[in-house]
Amino acid sequence: MSDNTGILKRFLKKVFLIDLIQGLTITFPYTFSKTITLRYPDEEKWIPYQRFRGLHTLNKNKEGKELCVGCELCQKACPTQCITVIPGEDKTGKGISDRIGYRWEINLLRCMYCGLCEDACPTEALKLGREYELASYSMLRQIRTKEELLNPQPIPVEIEGGVIVKARLEADDKGIKVVPDLSTQKRWW
Amino acid sequence: MLEVLIIIIKVVVITLVVFTLPLPLTYMERKVAGHIQVRLGPMRVGPHGLLQPFADMVKLFFKEDVVPAKADVWLFKIAPVVGMIPVFAVFATVPFGDKFTIPFINKEITMYIADMNVGILYVLAIAGLSVYGIILGGWASNSKYAMLGGLRSSAQMISYELALSFSCIGVVMVVNSLSLVDIVKSQAGWHWNVFYQPLGFIIFFIGGLAEINRIPFDLPEDEGTLGAGYHAEYSSMRFAFFMLTEYVAMVSMSVLMVVLYFGGWDGPSFIPIPGIIWFVLKVLFLIYVFMWTRFTYPRYRYDQLMNIGWKILLPLSLVNILITGLAVVKW
Ligand code: SF4
Ligand code: SF4
Repeated sequence: MSDNTGILKRFLKKVFLIDLIQGLTITFPYTFSKTITLRYPDEEKWIPYQRFRGLHTLNKNKEGKELCVGCELCQKACPTQCITVIPGEDKTGKGISDRIGYRWEINLLRCMYCGLCEDACPTEALKLGREYELASYSMLRQIRTKEELLNPQPIPVEIEGGVIVKARLEADDKGIKVVPDLSTQKRWW
Repeated sequence: MLEVLIIIIKVVVITLVVFTLPLPLTYMERKVAGHIQVRLGPMRVGPHGLLQPFADMVKLFFKEDVVPAKADVWLFKIAPVVGMIPVFAVFATVPFGDKFTIPFINKEITMYIADMNVGILYVLAIAGLSVYGIILGGWASNSKYAMLGGLRSSAQMISYELALSFSCIGVVMVVNSLSLVDIVKSQAGWHWNVFYQPLGFIIFFIGGLAEINRIPFDLPEDEGTLGAGYHAEYSSMRFAFFMLTEYVAMVSMSVLMVVLYFGGWDGPSFIPIPGIIWFVLKVLFLIYVFMWTRFTYPRYRYDQLMNIGWKILLPLSLVNILITGLAVVKW
């Protein structure tokens, strides 16, 4: 008996095109739902969360002194050996002690952004930041030195991230930059 | 003299309008596709991508026009035009609205080129001819994919044209006339045929989808198995002609549906807008439904297509005629 009603049900479903109409009712609301397209790079940009592992930064403490003490632990910890640290003695008081990274260089072409260097750093000088637009026209550009990494990154650490902001595309012969406008933050979804 | 002039003007206007329609329709199709798939669709060229169709047109103009080495050159070149002419010819009998009078010279002008007393037969016959373009194109390309596409389209055409025509007979029996103008006039005041012929309308809709090769029945250009089907070897403007044909065929099918089943220019009389606007709105809605179905359903398999055509639609359309006949005799 139950089998019979099943057949009847299926037959009626076919006759009144129920399945097809169900399909249409599913797609119709999607026509008016919010889009997931991100108009990167020239209109919108994704700001990652704080845990994101992008380009390295070397931090300074509140007095503006370099936290890196040139201990070479990051160099040792790095699996791909892309960090070069040459420690040096420092009498000018730039750093927090009298030992400083005299040269601090990273080869981004080899870096895999694992974050082990960050974990190894005893003074929390090294931190993987939130910059991810690293394309450039020149390979040499991929070797970043201490001087550059000491500059703060365009996205401040305090911003929580996980948002979309308006952005503007800027290209020069150094490479391409997407400049975010942090005043208009919008949650994704 | 004036009569001839008016007819020429009408022909020119309708041809121009129909010729440019594919531009906004491609844009609409891509926007509908985008939003159904939670994307944005074209956004880059012009505000909200509005100029995208023009960009595409310019691109198609400048593409190389490739003719395959072993193709039947003459047929290959003429096929897109053969396919295109019938879909335009359909518009000759379509009534877009009621008469209107030109001020000053007090001349009454009808909103159709010709009111044939066998209008619906003409439309069905002419619309069926458009498949020749596809078959010739597929045959002349000298490619197995194009050839299979052409063959599929002819088989599909035969199996669906029958059901399509039979479903029209229901309308003709109710209205008692073959003229499209009479058909529209008889539906005035909400006596739309879709309410009296629901089964006929569904058959007409499905048959129409198959006739204009839209998903779920776009077997002739099945990307999954045939590359691009009958236009696999075409490029540049000849390909554009095929695209044009496809979109104009879609417009003509929706126009026919509006004329046969949705009361043509008839609309609610308490809203004072001219009939032609109602007509355009209905056509637009039906085109939207075509696109909506396209991005909802997968493509049918070839044997399923044949099964539906011969074993379901054809008997159903006969049943529809039987029921209509009984009802007409009773009332
Ligand atoms: S993130 Fe990993 S690979 Fe990159 S520098 Fe640090 S330790 Fe080396
Ligand atoms: S960044 Fe940290 S781990 Fe690397 S040398 Fe400086 S203090 Fe040591």
